[in-house]
Amino acid sequence: MHSTPEPIHGVSHTVRDAQNTRRFQLRMLAAALAYIVATAALRWRGSISWASPGLQWLLVGVAVLLALAALRAYLQMLRQADELQRRIHLEALGLGFAAGAVFALLYPLFELLGAPALGGRAIAVVMLLSWAAGSWLAARRFSGGA
Amino acid sequence: MKNRLRVLRAERDWSQADLAAKLGVSRQTVNAIETGRYDPSLPLAFTVARLFGLAIEQVFEPDD
Repeated sequence: MHSTPEPIHGVSHTVRDAQNTRRFQLRMLAAALAYIVATAALRWRGSISWASPGLQWLLVGVAVLLALAALRAYLQMLRQADELQRRIHLEALGLGFAAGAVFALLYPLFELLGAPALGGRAIAVVMLLSWAAGSWLAARRFSGGA
Repeated sequence: MKNRLRVLRAERDWSQADLAAKLGVSRQTVNAIETGRYDPSLPLAFTVARLFGLAIEQVFEPDD
């Protein structure tokens, strides 16, 4: 049976939710750090004498593996989540996906009007920010804040 | 959907956290159900009814 531990970011969780959330956050942090290291090493590989091709491949491989581990932890968190938490995740993912799709389709129009070209990574940033905003909004709505 | 969760819980002198632990959900879920912001899934509604020893329609009823 689950109990209710201290809230995470103002939202109460079951013990299992809290454990899964922490696992996901730790893996996400590790994946983000590996991504930063791999990006830096590849970007400045000309000026880093020790960054041999083998090491570059290793850094990218580690970043990919840690990202997959974070993805796995996220799916586990979703599947085992308390049903209200799952609903909150669904609304957040829906907002993230929809905002990313709208941005991807409409921003090129602004580029034609002279706005700077942002590239594909901007879509991921919009999705991530919308996902985070969606999580906050849904949690707030179900807890009576909105 | 209306429900009598708050009344039934109060009759047993349970806190929201107590009920959440018995149901295996978060306290936020119990609060959201009690305040009508969230309608539970059918399995959770049955679990709630079983916990209080009542039929599901004695705990939950439609809005109309």
